[in-house]
Amino acid sequence: MSSAQNHTSDSGILAVRDLRILFPTRDGRDTVKAIDGMDFEVRAGETFGIIGESGSGKTTLGRALVSLLPPTHGKILHDGTDPVTLGTGAFRKHRRDYQIIFQDPNAALNPRMTIIDSVVEPLEIMGQGDNASRRRRGIEVLERVGLAAEAADRYPHQLSGGQKQRVNIARVLTLRPKVIVCDEVVAALDVSIRGDVLNLFADLQREFGLTYVFITHDISVVSHISDRIAVTYLGKLMELGPAEDVVEHPLHPYTRALLSAEPVPLPSHLRVDRRIILEGEIPSPVAPPSGCRFRTRCPSVQPRCTEEVPAWRDVKPGHRVACHFATADGPPPDNQKAQRAS
Amino acid sequence: MTDAIDIFAATASRAASTPHVGGSPRPLLEVRDLSLSFATANGALPITRNVNFTIAPGERVGLVGESGCGKTVTGLSLLRLLPPQSARIQGDILFNGTNLATLSPRRMRAVRGREIAMIFQEPMSALDPVFTVGDQISEAYRVHFPVSRPEGRERAIAALREVGIPAPERRCDEYPHQLSGGMRQRVMIAMALICKPKLLVADEPTTALDVTVQAQITDLLRSLSERTGTALIFITHDLGVVAETCTRMITMYAGEVVEDAPVDDVLTRPRHPYTSGLLRSLPGLSKRRGVLASIPGRVPSPSAMPAGCRFRSRCTHAVAGCEQSQPMIEIESDRTARCWRAPELVLPGAVN
Repeated sequence: MSSAQNHTSDSGILAVRDLRILFPTRDGRDTVKAIDGMDFEVRAGETFGIIGESGSGKTTLGRALVSLLPPTHGKILHDGTDPVTLGTGAFRKHRRDYQIIFQDPNAALNPRMTIIDSVVEPLEIMGQGDNASRRRRGIEVLERVGLAAEAADRYPHQLSGGQKQRVNIARVLTLRPKVIVCDEVVAALDVSIRGDVLNLFADLQREFGLTYVFITHDISVVSHISDRIAVTYLGKLMELGPAEDVVEHPLHPYTRALLSAEPVPLPSHLRVDRRIILEGEIPSPVAPPSGCRFRTRCPSVQPRCTEEVPAWRDVKPGHRVACHFATADGPPPDNQKAQRAS
Repeated sequence: MTDAIDIFAATASRAASTPHVGGSPRPLLEVRDLSLSFATANGALPITRNVNFTIAPGERVGLVGESGCGKTVTGLSLLRLLPPQSARIQGDILFNGTNLATLSPRRMRAVRGREIAMIFQEPMSALDPVFTVGDQISEAYRVHFPVSRPEGRERAIAALREVGIPAPERRCDEYPHQLSGGMRQRVMIAMALICKPKLLVADEPTTALDVTVQAQITDLLRSLSERTGTALIFITHDLGVVAETCTRMITMYAGEVVEDAPVDDVLTRPRHPYTSGLLRSLPGLSKRRGVLASIPGRVPSPSAMPAGCRFRSRCTHAVAGCEQSQPMIEIESDRTARCWRAPELVLPGAVN
């Protein structure tokens, strides 16, 4: 591994500072605010979960974290270094430490290349070793992710979805990265094999000291594997804290509603009906609501929410939230319930 | 057209005369030994085998299983939506006593949309982009009932209101691309329910939606079913959705029904090792950061199905005897499982 391995800066292995990523709309008259001001750090060795609905900017964020998209404003620091400032050669060397795995295991593999060719391609691009040593390394890694050496000379269509996702993991591992962004990596897999792939991620983390940024809309997955969880909504973070706190005692009304919407496979007598049905859908990121972005669907909305953007503040140690009215005890009360009580 | 309506009138009056007192009511749908195969260059490829189940009027049943287990084709076969050139259907699909499997194409058209409706996973591909949603909903009605255009429009607006679309008079004249994913699925539901069918087949209707919108749609489907008495077959891989929407769950594996039981019972104590495996694989049920359960191996290919229990090679409870052919065993009066060891096995469910 690179010499930077033991170098830790106080900003964490990934630091996001006032990040904004804007895209022009097709007619060029407006901008889509995919990421509209985010601040957070990812610590070395942790699993950092990101949850949110589609359109909340989580995929854009994942791509930006590994320099596939440049920030429009603000910056993303990799272990204290801003990759934007690096020259081409240095950047290429640097980015092997920051890798990404995508959702669709089929689309990520070239159908005309054998598995081993896909797996060793990153090493080829980096100019490491010769053909024989690369192949050896490729097979080693394939075996590590649970694929038999026979799979090496097959083509993607001869493998199942779960096996293909393992190939994608193997391909990233050949570079021995420090950080892997996992964008909905198990969403396309059947429940029965999801567990296997998630277990593999956990094993590899222990073995190689990896840092994961796990992006998903599946709350049960993210709460199972994450150390900390960030909740995104319309290009902003709503809440960030230790996974258990966020899942068991959410502080933001959005997190509470999102968690309550998750269907639970429990028999009716064990199910607590605490579901908060959110009205409508996520607004357009072209013209997000003023003030707090969640206010148009928030069951606890107050006049202040329209006027003032809530500060991104620490409510408890290590637990941040963007809501005027959230306290360490929880989110503000539901307007309807408060009314009924009075 | 008029002919089609006459046929409907006949079935409707027959259904209305069904006695509905005491015991188990006459089933609305009875699927008997339904086997599907597809013609391929190498001969017939069997997809499902001897699928049996019944749906009572107003009942909500979840049809679950992994991809490739045959749940979608089973749903499509109920409406005879599989390509007739390549799909071979054997067995009976008795709907209110009429065998849909042998119905003429013309009479089948009178059933589709009128008696049995279907909604799909991706509403955008199920809607025509060049017609307004109002036109498409009223068309679904006017195919079966001879009403004027203005009345069709009125009914479409009422149907949109019924599924909770705000400002239905305005939405009625909009095109599918102007609506969000959740709205489009509501439009599909409005279209499916406008003729007040007795059975709605919903194939993964919430899979493409966000959880917050999924919660809205499953609540809508459940309350519409409760209010109108429409029976629901909910095809999904999400056991949580089944738990919250359905009263009974049918588990399919490798083209066969392997378990059929009331939802609460099967979640508490599944009787087939595959159902148990599916439940144990859900991350929410394991210790946080602990090792997740999974089912080893993969579903056998339809062209190389093993004899006997099809789940055997992946089953941790497999013993000598499992290679024998496995019939469905009645465990309780309303529960069956395709596992000869079901009476003795104590399998973990969703509750510890």
